Amino acid sequence: MTHPEFAADAAGGAGRIYQEAIKALANAATGHGALVAPDGRAFIDNPLCGDCVEMEVNVADSRIAALAHQVKGCLLCRAAASVIGKRAVGASPGEVEQISAEVSAMLEREAPPSAGWHELSAFAPVHGHRSRYDCVRLPFQALLAALRAAGERA
Amino acid sequence: MKWVLYERLRAATAAGTSCAVVTRLADGAQAFFDGERWEGAIDPAEAQRAAVRRMLVAGRSGMLPGEQDLFVRSYARAPRLIVVGAAHISQFLAPMATLAGFEVIVIDPRRAFASAERFPGVTLVDEWPDTALERLKPDVTTAVVTLTHDPKLDDPALIAALRSPAFYIGALGSTRTHAKRVTRLTEAGLGDKVARIHAPVGLDLGGRAPCEIAVSILSQVIQVRYRGEAA
Repeated sequence: MTHPEFAADAAGGAGRIYQEAIKALANAATGHGALVAPDGRAFIDNPLCGDCVEMEVNVADSRIAALAHQVKGCLLCRAAASVIGKRAVGASPGEVEQISAEVSAMLEREAPPSAGWHELSAFAPVHGHRSRYDCVRLPFQALLAALRAAGERA
Repeated sequence: MKWVLYERLRAATAAGTSCAVVTRLADGAQAFFDGERWEGAIDPAEAQRAAVRRMLVAGRSGMLPGEQDLFVRSYARAPRLIVVGAAHISQFLAPMATLAGFEVIVIDPRRAFASAERFPGVTLVDEWPDTALERLKPDVTTAVVTLTHDPKLDDPALIAALRSPAFYIGALGSTRTHAKRVTRLTEAGLGDKVARIHAPVGLDLGGRAPCEIAVSILSQVIQVRYRGEAA
């Protein structure tokens, strides 16, 4: 059971993925909290590392009107949730899906993220640390699941 | 016994919190101790309080050592061992500690590790350690050991444990790892409490295998339970 952190160390770059931009995003915890009456809610955890995200959304006119999240997890997961807290309000479910796919592409193939959510470029160094991809993706998966839950209620 | 003390005793035992009643034989005056707070008609000196706590941790009743007049009745539950981290060492430590009379609980939100297949017959909790410990409320007869290899999980567990009256707190990790941990916990405002952590965890038996480390941890927990921290 080699811990991802140690594996990354062995690969010679654990420090790089914890750069200042990531730390600042994680500590800002933008969007942390809970909504009074969410239209959709989702809880997702990663059984391999224990990270978990609870995401709540309100939807109006097919766009995210408000969101709040509660994350227990590593720096990467908390930072990704923070970017969502900063950028996702106003986005449509389709746009979130698009961004989410871009995040996966950035992690797996170093594809540059699209303009708009420019904070996402802070996660580019995670490319190559395969075991950490899901840390970044988890909040996006939670947001998509929360949007689906809101869609089912509507 | 005064009604109010009886009520405290009843509430503590119902909640599964180990506690003790001290009686002064000369006049029957009593004090109640739940591992954190004292209450009642006796106001024991600091050294006497520490001695009562040691007896309660060990689950012993009798005359307070060195005193002619103070009788201690311990209402101690079976000692608990809360293991944070369903790691290899935990797979040995949990059954060993169960055989040694501990009520064992393993906490790990990494459900892939905290599986019933890997821990047959062990109480498993897949909440985050801080949430789980808030619910489990480590008392004065509880030991908490962190073995996750991940500060993200160990730190919140240690913070919760340091704020509890747990009689033993241990954390896996080298001296170097522990120095960094002390820095983080000090930043979290626990600088005055970090010395309670046994790290590197366990007695220095020389073994390196997970089963041997489990023995060294269990030995240290038992040693502190009966001999106190000075041992």
